[in-house]
Amino acid sequence: MTRRLTFNIFRYNPQDPESVPHTDNFVLEEAERMTLYIALTKIREEQDHSLTFDFCCRAGICGACAMVINGRPGLACKTLTKDLPDEITLMPLPVFKLVGDLSVDTGTWFSAMNEKVESWVHTNKKMDPTVQEERMNNALAEEIYELERCVECGCCVAACGTANMRQDFLGAVALNRIARFIMDPRDERTEKEYFEVVGTDEGIFGCMGLLACEDVCPKQLPLQDQLGILRRQMGWTAVKQLFHIAK
Amino acid sequence: MAIDTTIYVRPQSGISAYLDWLQMLTGAGLILFMWSHMILVASVNFGVDAMNTIAKFFEDSYMAQVGGPMIGLTFLLHFALAARKVPFRTEQQSTMWKHGKMLHHKDTWLWVVQAVTAMIILIMGAIHMWTVLTDLPITAQKSAARIQGGFWLVFYLILLPMVELHVGIGFYRIAVKWGFIKRKTRQGFKGFENILTLIFIAIGLITIVRFILIQVIQV
Ligand code: HEM
Ligand code: SF4
Ligand code: SF4
Ligand code: FES
Repeated sequence: MTRRLTFNIFRYNPQDPESVPHTDNFVLEEAERMTLYIALTKIREEQDHSLTFDFCCRAGICGACAMVINGRPGLACKTLTKDLPDEITLMPLPVFKLVGDLSVDTGTWFSAMNEKVESWVHTNKKMDPTVQEERMNNALAEEIYELERCVECGCCVAACGTANMRQDFLGAVALNRIARFIMDPRDERTEKEYFEVVGTDEGIFGCMGLLACEDVCPKQLPLQDQLGILRRQMGWTAVKQLFHIAK
Repeated sequence: MAIDTTIYVRPQSGISAYLDWLQMLTGAGLILFMWSHMILVASVNFGVDAMNTIAKFFEDSYMAQVGGPMIGLTFLLHFALAARKVPFRTEQQSTMWKHGKMLHHKDTWLWVVQAVTAMIILIMGAIHMWTVLTDLPITAQKSAARIQGGFWLVFYLILLPMVELHVGIGFYRIAVKWGFIKRKTRQGFKGFENILTLIFIAIGLITIVRFILIQVIQV
């Protein structure tokens, strides 16, 4: 028996002064191995050409297709309709600026975030292209890679109660990013410098431990563990600053 | 995350970190106190004398006279610190409420429960502390008489679950926030914490019933 799926999709075009936020309903026959990407494309092709949503890689790699699926932020291209009930409600991610319908601008937010946490290796070493790269311990490289897997989809930010209430909160993605550089021996930033970036209420001390980020991250990044480690590290740095022994 | 439209140099300070430490430490201190408090009060289940002996010990050693107000101060300090996180603006409250409803996420709801119980504890806890500490010494008979008056029975029946929920969630929260509990152990720890909370509520209820019965036995 093929199911008939009902999609309740948020519609609004902020560029059009006539447009008012509302929900449109579409009915679609479920197909085998149907993802939300396939369903949305079908709806756009067959029912409403004006439906706006983002996709790029269709394989859970680029992070473009994040949206709120029956209340939970997730990647539409990775979500199979067979895992969802007959009625599927799709909303754009909160926190980010709405482009239209299900499409939001995560780019501006993420580039500001990357600038704020200075998301690059800080080093004074001159690169010499003629010599071989320095080697990194393999276990460590893998640990760093584990945190590198973030696709900047924004699900963790959209799911975070703190980020929803407070515009200035950095969010789990930024805290995870900093944790990645703290691990990296090539980054010469001192603990004080890291503290300046995330040892604040916009950073790790604003996090209230709701762990929605951990529960929604479509790449299963170890956000809970990294947030815990970071809070301790920054907590100790603050204590060390009291005694003027922080590096 | 806001995009800065001004350029200014933020003075380097660890203030957020120190306040977070204090929030956690006052919370942990209050948890320890609540557990001791439960032992004192529940001792009445082993007889009026058991409770009176413990209470007398606390007074003779001046722990009630000094410790009581200290707990009161910790309570206020913890409130002032944790209140930094509570949404007081309607706009934030409604954001949080809608967010909770959208997400269907237990831990997010637990936080809402923590913030709501906190406000109730602030008022009822303060009243309770004032009443008890301005009427020392603590004796089982006095407590029993109070509860049998009816008003305090209802009062404690509300305050007990509020405190136990807040303590239970707070305990879990400290563990995950500071990395004592990792991804692997989280669900198990949450289950353990829920059971602990239920046990404490049960002990509290039994104790209240016991207080109701005391005078009946003695008259
Ligand atoms: C004056 C009344 C109280 C208020 C307004 C209050 C408020 C709060 C709030 C809003 C939080 C959440 C903070 C966050 O998520 O960052 C919290 C956490 C906590 N509360 Fe309370 N609370 C009160 C009384 C108590 C009492 C009486 C206890 C213990 C018996 C307690 C134990 C805790 C613990 C252990 C935490 C977790 C600390 C943390 O996450 O850092 N609180 N409290
Ligand atoms: S941490 Fe996870 S949820 Fe957050 S942006 Fe990265 S991949 Fe997405
Ligand atoms: S643990 Fe909670 S408050 Fe902290 S970043 Fe994750 S969702 Fe936000
Ligand atoms: S389209 Fe790239 S992650 Fe879904």
